[in-house]
Amino acid sequence: MLSVLIWLPILAAAIITVIPKNLPTNTVRLSALYFAAIVLLWNIFILFKFDISNPSMQFQENIPWNETLGLTYQLGVDGLSILMLVLNSLLTWIAIYSSSKETQRPRLFYSLILLVSGGVAGAFLAENLLLFFLFYELELIPFYLLISIWGGEKRGYAGIKFLIYTAVSGALILATFLGMVWLTGSTSFAFDAVSTQTLSAGMQIILLAGIVLGFGIKIPLVPFHTWLPDAYVEASAPIAILLGGVLAKLGTYGLLRFGMGMFPQAWSTIAPTLATWGAVSAIYGAVVAIAQKDIKRMVAYSSIGHMGYILLAGAASTSLALVGAVAQMFSHGLILAILFHLVGVVETKVGTRELDKLNGLMSPIRGLPLISALLVLSGMASAGIPGLTGFVAEFIVFQGSFSAFPIPTILCVVASGLTAVYFVILLNRTCFGRLDNLAYYPKIEWFERTPALILAALIIFLGVQPTWLVRWSEPTTTAMVAAIPTLEKTVNSEIALKP
Amino acid sequence: MDFANLASQLNAGTILPEGIVILTLLGVLIVDLILGRTSSRWIGYLAIAGLLAAIVALYFQWDATNPISFSGGFNGDDLSIVFRGIIALSAAVTILMSIRYVEQSGTALAEFIAILLTATLGGMFLSGASELVMIFISLETLSISSYLLTGYTKRDPRSNEAALKYLLIGASSTAVFLYGVSLLYGLSGGQTELSAIANGIATAKIGQSLAVVIALVFVIAGIGFKISAAPFHQWTPDVYEGAPTPVIAFLSVGSKAAGFALAIRLLTTVFPFVADEWRFVFTALAVLSMVLGNVVALAQTSMKRMLAYSSIAQAGFVMIGLIAGTEAGYSSMIFYLLVYLFMNLCGFTCIILFSLRTGTDQIAEYSGLYQKDPLLTLGLSISLLSLGGIPPLAGFFGKIYLFWAGWQAGLYWLVLLGLVTTVVSIYYYIRVVKMMVVKEPQEMSDVVKNYPAINWNLPGFRPLQVGLIVTLIATSIAGILSNPLFTLANNSVANTAILQANTVVSTQASAVNTEHPEGL
Repeated sequence: MLSVLIWLPILAAAIITVIPKNLPTNTVRLSALYFAAIVLLWNIFILFKFDISNPSMQFQENIPWNETLGLTYQLGVDGLSILMLVLNSLLTWIAIYSSSKETQRPRLFYSLILLVSGGVAGAFLAENLLLFFLFYELELIPFYLLISIWGGEKRGYAGIKFLIYTAVSGALILATFLGMVWLTGSTSFAFDAVSTQTLSAGMQIILLAGIVLGFGIKIPLVPFHTWLPDAYVEASAPIAILLGGVLAKLGTYGLLRFGMGMFPQAWSTIAPTLATWGAVSAIYGAVVAIAQKDIKRMVAYSSIGHMGYILLAGAASTSLALVGAVAQMFSHGLILAILFHLVGVVETKVGTRELDKLNGLMSPIRGLPLISALLVLSGMASAGIPGLTGFVAEFIVFQGSFSAFPIPTILCVVASGLTAVYFVILLNRTCFGRLDNLAYYPKIEWFERTPALILAALIIFLGVQPTWLVRWSEPTTTAMVAAIPTLEKTVNSEIALKP
Repeated sequence: MDFANLASQLNAGTILPEGIVILTLLGVLIVDLILGRTSSRWIGYLAIAGLLAAIVALYFQWDATNPISFSGGFNGDDLSIVFRGIIALSAAVTILMSIRYVEQSGTALAEFIAILLTATLGGMFLSGASELVMIFISLETLSISSYLLTGYTKRDPRSNEAALKYLLIGASSTAVFLYGVSLLYGLSGGQTELSAIANGIATAKIGQSLAVVIALVFVIAGIGFKISAAPFHQWTPDVYEGAPTPVIAFLSVGSKAAGFALAIRLLTTVFPFVADEWRFVFTALAVLSMVLGNVVALAQTSMKRMLAYSSIAQAGFVMIGLIAGTEAGYSSMIFYLLVYLFMNLCGFTCIILFSLRTGTDQIAEYSGLYQKDPLLTLGLSISLLSLGGIPPLAGFFGKIYLFWAGWQAGLYWLVLLGLVTTVVSIYYYIRVVKMMVVKEPQEMSDVVKNYPAINWNLPGFRPLQVGLIVTLIATSIAGILSNPLFTLANNSVANTAILQANTVVSTQASAVNTEHPEGL
């Protein structure tokens, strides 16, 4: 069942590479879109079959693969990953939909996107450390090519920077995984075979540091974030959607799954540091975004800020905060996708992303009124205005974290306020004001609006009906929290409690 | 000594694969003499058939009950079978590549194949040789043929220079090796067989004496030259650039595998008493090779030179398995060499194809190639990414196994260095992929703009195509379907007596050390 989510996109990628060369670009695009739609429907089917009350792995598949390496093909889905899978296939579909009908070298483009989608699904589904790493590294080359072939002006630089940062992150993660498995004396890399409880506290902290740094590059956390503005800005709109919407989630997912899930004791030790780090990241992202003159760069830094909240929630590790973290991951994916899509539309129609040159897009006849309206909506969602999904997620995060780390939480609330500041700047400079007399923008086709409309509908729906956002992850996160000793408990009493 | 006893002492069936290679070699020479240049259309296939027959013969020797032959001069155990197979296979693929290349350079193909088969023979014998004289003779057979092959295109000054450089360094390193070997002969009280030398050194109780250490260092100088470990690597970049490309393909796989086979057999059998010392020396060599190979490769502009530094670095990775010295360590080495064969030969096939069509091998000239030659782009990209260890290609699994074995043996820093240098290596491998795939049509190099129409029916291009596709498929799926290869590598180590006895001798060694704490 779950294998379909991995192998259907990869198979589709293979089919698209071999279809005849002389077909028009749009045909290639449509066929990729159909494949992505099938995957999305299958994913929604799995979502409805998913047993919400069950906190453990479901739909498990287990095939032996390579015994010498301890590598098994073991898949499963739980409350932590189910929403991420849906997000992945939804955004893949949106990304393909929002790609230009005149994309150069369409066969390579769409097959790489589908390959990435299958790989990300595999990473979310894997129940074996080595299998996770295999899928994690699988993103490396396709994304490098997607950035550096179809990107903006400085795409070569951005692509290489992304490649090196991600490769370093992979090396750190692999070293930690090898360490975890070997030091615990396990013979297999399967999740349930690895138990770090037997290790000394110092060793646990060292391994956890490897995990935090490795995934911290991917999330990204300040100061490992410097690849992000370049990669997001230079990537074309559909690729930016995938990068920000999906790939960043791989980092936070890895941090929660491996950092918190596998090192519960060490996690509670370093939680205060992480909470402060998350708050610093959030403030930094917001402050730097205020200073930007390029709207895409602004959105990129907003992403750094929003990822800080997830780190705060993970550090707090109350069950409410974790539900909030998963909700924030999902809603950030939606909001970033709609923002990047709209910015992409603005850039193609107006021809610039500079705040100083954009003006008066709200103008009903000659401007881009619908796009501007959606931009206002998504800016509000990102800033945490009630009624939209961003507010729900952030509020749960703050509510859940305040009891554990009051000061970092307050800092994050301040960052949330600063988010409103830069989005107001952005909207004020782009949507409002007067249109230049010379401005004459191309008409917006319906197909260019559809992705944004779908995402906006989802954002509003989840904002007023947040149960649908949080119900999936509750039992799993509660079970994860139960494994973590709270700050008051000592490590000794925790061991004594064990049978 | 009656005849039956003599026959059992000789046990000549063990070298049947080499016998087949010898017959092929003679066949190639004689056919060439009788028919002249007209035979060059099919003489390559004759040689390949001979090599494949040798591999089949090796298959039937697997798990032989009595592998020792020639009164202990040759050991046909499973370890040697794997290495002989690797060398024969690399020679077979090399011939596929060289049919067109040698013809185009205007030299005789049969002579080339004859020398290549002699080198193969030397390498195969070296893999199983367990006696000092035998080791030296097969090493020289391999080396002398390699010098000849390097200078084979004798009208090209670069090829001449490479041959001279290779000869001078090679001959002096063999001399150093020979001096080490002669020391071993003297120290062990006149033994030439490897296990007898170990016993002789043990009885004389000079396990850790300075003389043994000197012999060890001299021997390592010879081995390090063959596997091009830094700082014995200086010949590699120049020879790789000057020599004919198929020869490089063979040197980078066949000759290197022979060097590693020699290293495993010689070091584990003769030097158990100084195991810590040679592990230390090889750690230094591995660190140097990984750092130097990967960092200097960043700055290369010629494709062959870049692959030269890459092969130095890859040798550094393989040495992690040797230093680990566990069963997993040795089998990870063997597995990596097996997949290295596929990926390196795939890469070199693409380079040969490109230089046959355009006459250059500068990296910058590859730009925009995807439009003109997609198959070549795919092959070179896959092989380079696999060398960089990108999943799910063969090289990824090879590296994972090496690092896993290294980590299990407690070589944390070495594995971390391996990981870091792998990241560095991804940068220079991806640079070539970038040239070929990412560049826009208007950034195409002049060479690619004038790229000739692809015609596989030209004489000698079919074997190149076959070699490319076979190695490309192997590189792509040897990782995912790696279980048979893993089983092969693990079994070859598990069934090999010398690697099993190793732990026993090590305990012996520690016993010797405790008896003589001053170490004599």
